[in-house]
Amino acid sequence: MTENQPPPPDPGRPGLTEPFNGLSATGLARSFGEVHAVVNMDLQAPAGEVTALIGPNGAGKTTLLLMLASLLAPDQGSIRVMGIDPAKDPAAARARIGWMPDTLGVWESLTAREILTTMGRFYHLPKAGIPARVAELLDKVNLAGLADQKARVLSRGQQQRLSLARALLHDPDVLLLDEPASGLDPGSRIALRGILRSLAAEGKAIVVSSHVLAELDEIADGAVFVNQGRTVLRQSVDQAAAQGRRYAITSLDPAALAASLATLGVEFAPGAGRRDSVLASIGSETEAAELLRGLVAAGVPVSSFGPATGALEESYLSMEVEQP
Amino acid sequence: MTTLQNSSAPRGAEKEPGQGALRRYIDGVQAVVGMELRQRLRSRGWYIMLGIWFALIWLVTALTWISWKAQSGMGIDPGFGVPGPGPLIFEAVCAFVLLFGLLVAPAFSANAISGDRSAGTLAIMQVTLLRPGQLLWGKFLASWIVSMAFLVVSVPFLVFGIAQGGLGAGYILVALLMLAVQLGVVCALGVGISALANRPLFSIVVTYLAVAALVFGTLIAFGLGAMVSNGTVEANQIYYKGMEQYPEEEQGMYPPVPSRVDITDENDEFACFGPLVEQPATRTDRVAWLLAMNPFVVVADAIPYPDRPDDGRDYYPTGMFQTVSEGARYVQAGPEATYQCAGGKVAPDSIGQQMPFWPLGLGLQMLVTAGLLALGWRALRTPAGRLAKGTRIA
Repeated sequence: MTENQPPPPDPGRPGLTEPFNGLSATGLARSFGEVHAVVNMDLQAPAGEVTALIGPNGAGKTTLLLMLASLLAPDQGSIRVMGIDPAKDPAAARARIGWMPDTLGVWESLTAREILTTMGRFYHLPKAGIPARVAELLDKVNLAGLADQKARVLSRGQQQRLSLARALLHDPDVLLLDEPASGLDPGSRIALRGILRSLAAEGKAIVVSSHVLAELDEIADGAVFVNQGRTVLRQSVDQAAAQGRRYAITSLDPAALAASLATLGVEFAPGAGRRDSVLASIGSETEAAELLRGLVAAGVPVSSFGPATGALEESYLSMEVEQP
Repeated sequence: MTTLQNSSAPRGAEKEPGQGALRRYIDGVQAVVGMELRQRLRSRGWYIMLGIWFALIWLVTALTWISWKAQSGMGIDPGFGVPGPGPLIFEAVCAFVLLFGLLVAPAFSANAISGDRSAGTLAIMQVTLLRPGQLLWGKFLASWIVSMAFLVVSVPFLVFGIAQGGLGAGYILVALLMLAVQLGVVCALGVGISALANRPLFSIVVTYLAVAALVFGTLIAFGLGAMVSNGTVEANQIYYKGMEQYPEEEQGMYPPVPSRVDITDENDEFACFGPLVEQPATRTDRVAWLLAMNPFVVVADAIPYPDRPDDGRDYYPTGMFQTVSEGARYVQAGPEATYQCAGGKVAPDSIGQQMPFWPLGLGLQMLVTAGLLALGWRALRTPAGRLAKGTRIA
């Protein structure tokens, strides 16, 4: 898949025409008694891409993922997993879904290997192939050395990796990951990023919910922003990067920098950070490149120049403003 | 299981028609059982409980033996002519195993699903190709197998009881079978309740209450039910033949000897005479089903005992189980069979063994259990529709 994917098409009528290749949800609503957890959400996660699901706490992300994972029936709306309706044929849909919940959920007295082996039997994987498949996944998530330890002794991050291995065990086409990076050490985060990118390259549709937006800038191709049970924005990361955002600029000579920026006609404000930097609003990456060239040409000793916020963070913050 | 349309990538469910579907269903159940047993066998508490259990039954056996020795040594006939302590020990161990089994079985079954739910592991199983039925079967079988271990531990003591003489080896088999079935019922109850409950504590308490309802509730309900089950029975007059022996001058105080033509039925002691009239009677037969559900009644009734010898003795060596069984069958027979002169017939001393009572009780227990499991199955179906308040799926 190309990185320059156009924004996801408007949710039309999936199922009537060509089935959408990936995971698609249209007009989902779900309430628990008086609480309307999901009011109206759309999500398209094309195969071969990582789609980020972003929203504040209580926005309905987990409820949405539970519906997508075929655990919760939507009150309204429809879901298609590689063209299959999980409400009609849950078994066929589940064979294609890998789900990693935000709760860890491990059987504490079983070992990592036993948990994965049992899961393989729950998925009716061919018995002879299970041990090899389990070993392969333990390797992939870097748990091979702890494979025969009881899950109780695994740390949170290790349990998280076990949970990821479990979600991948049956080689699903659609991966739903709820906060996969929480609790992971930096090394595991980088490994997770690599695993997700390579899975996307294999053509899997991946949905990741996370609060670590800077991380999502690196992994995701597109993002769906949700708030108060509704989808409020759909955006590709390239679009997000192309939109205007603030850049933090530091110079050895702050006065020269300020003067130069004023000459170049760029709006700026003193930064909030500890270092003596300024924040400049810049419309696009092209403009940023031009500005840097201009500053250097004017002889300003620029020591650092970079986006003050991530692309998705910028979108997230603007969304919050729109949705008080 | 439904078939899949598209099989491009290697994935869980391969296409398998007909017979393979059953094998896969069973394989899923086996996987659940294996997982559960592994977890149970690794908990130390289980071994401690097994040890305590062994010690307790040993104690019961020893005390029963000692008390029998003491009584027979004092020249008191403890069981109206019981030949040895065998039946006494056997029955004591059986009753004890049942009592403690009923107390232990909920511990293994009542948190089976609610425990997974609160640990967040239930949803992980539900999102696989495992179906609610497989989950319930697996959890039930695992808890049953675990409680079987307790029965196995008590076998030596039952054998010891039989070895003391008085009973055949077949008694052990019948007793073990019925004890196993009763533990199975409690395990199934526990699993069904745990599928409905959100929290393990709640399901364990409710399961214990359900066991208490079976053991004590049925007795209370039967007693109260019998009090309000007033009915009538068609019967005629009773004449007690012993009265003929009284001296002449007292004869006036007693009813006259009925004329032979009026007598509808008689035996050595009684005669029934005169027209049939409606007489008030307690219709215990209407509420006997409540008593039937009691696990002790089921076990006692299922264990065979010899017919009473017809040798004119008033007392026979009867064990505890025989007494329970005869009592239960007596109330089930109702006034038609037990009221003196009902239908113009002399009631027999004992109603004999014509109809076993336990199939009714076991059937009712299974009905209740099946109902609970069906509700549990509904609660485990996904995608879930309506949820109980406060339910968190994962």
